[in-house]
Amino acid sequence: MQIMAPVSNRICILLIEPSFLIREGLKTLLSNQGQPYRIEEFDAPVDDLEKLVNRINPDLVLLNPKLVIRLISLPRFNENIFEPFYIGLIESDTPAHIQSKFDQTLNLDAEKSELNKIMEKSLKQLPNCNSETENTSLSEREISILKLVALGNTNNEIADKLFISAHTVMTHRKNITRKLGIKTVSGLTVYAILNQLIKLEEVQGV
Amino acid sequence: MRIHKDLKMAEVIHMNHHLLPVLNRFDIFLGFGERTVEAVCRDHKINLDFFLEIVNTFHDPSYFPLRHLQTFKASMLIDYLQKTHSYYLDVKIPEIGQYITEIVQTSGFEESHRKLVKNFFDQYQHELTNHITKEEQGVYPYVLRLEKVLESTLTSHEILEDLQKYSITEYEEDHDDVESKLFDLKNILIKYLPPVSNYKLLNLILHEIFELESDLNNHGHIEDLILVPIVENMEKELHSRYADHGTCI
Repeated sequence: MQIMAPVSNRICILLIEPSFLIREGLKTLLSNQGQPYRIEEFDAPVDDLEKLVNRINPDLVLLNPKLVIRLISLPRFNENIFEPFYIGLIESDTPAHIQSKFDQTLNLDAEKSELNKIMEKSLKQLPNCNSETENTSLSEREISILKLVALGNTNNEIADKLFISAHTVMTHRKNITRKLGIKTVSGLTVYAILNQLIKLEEVQGV
Repeated sequence: MRIHKDLKMAEVIHMNHHLLPVLNRFDIFLGFGERTVEAVCRDHKINLDFFLEIVNTFHDPSYFPLRHLQTFKASMLIDYLQKTHSYYLDVKIPEIGQYITEIVQTSGFEESHRKLVKNFFDQYQHELTNHITKEEQGVYPYVLRLEKVLESTLTSHEILEDLQKYSITEYEEDHDDVESKLFDLKNILIKYLPPVSNYKLLNLILHEIFELESDLNNHGHIEDLILVPIVENMEKELHSRYADHGTCI
């Protein structure tokens, strides 16, 4: 049982690896990080990774590339601001062009300290992850973007208004979500009103 | 620990009392005496293997139901999933909704905050209801039609059209926002709502939301890991059956 006290944000993990022992080992590594998570495990070859990722909508994917038939590219969604983070479960002889598709690789032969270090580093990249050391207050830039999101502007509209790229807006939004633990636009609107960043009367349909 | 047929039903509840609503969906209620899981299932005419898979999947999220569950009929699974839907819509959501109405009226909320919290929950309720309606009116009837045709040897032209129109794998791509809303609601209550006078009621609301969330997660887990693979197999079988008949799909 890996469900821990549900006081903080639980991340969703998709684990695709044939070996039971390795799966259990990875779960131990994850538990050592003290980050609550829920996990969906698969031990058989996956026909269509994109479908699976769409269905599970994970924050983190731990994938043994051997279980993916024809691994051409990893599913990434441009319109989705919560693109999963991919960790490849590799061996020393895994070809470099496969390794390079992942955001991070984890060599199954690596030593414990190395494995822990990679896991810790990877979890920090996730939007829902609670990092104790990180400064969780919003920057001024983030506050101005949050206001615009709460008032119903799209990423492109915000980009135009602030003279920055839509990609930068998305990065800010990921950070806002990670810091506040709020994902939806209407949730951000509620936050903005409760914190008097905007007024209820300014918002349509809340 | 796995739940198995020789365990006493009372012990199952001692192990994990969150299973109570799940048992209720099988029309099993408290008062088991010393009867085992097997005996209770027999009394209630419930397929024992199916029951065990459902409770074990609920009890341990890393439990692997995949292979043998695929031998169960889709209709059995859909019956269970529909019961969980009505538990959400008829029991859990109205309950939480009522608590929320109560707390915003009695806990010294500012007028604007009152409206804000209430509306956010109403939006969530609306989206969840839509999502469930879509499943019950679109996906489940489609699956039941597939099953019916597979069980007969008849060729059905309607099912050919169905197969061209739908595929189970396109299903379930829009429940992210519903999930995210519930997630947000938790953080709003935990972190951002100013302290209220009726803290006991707010504790209760939060507790109920956590319960609902874990039940919804399990529901999604069963759909993704059990229902979808069963239906994919049915689709494959029908495609090949019609291919054998020389019918072009």
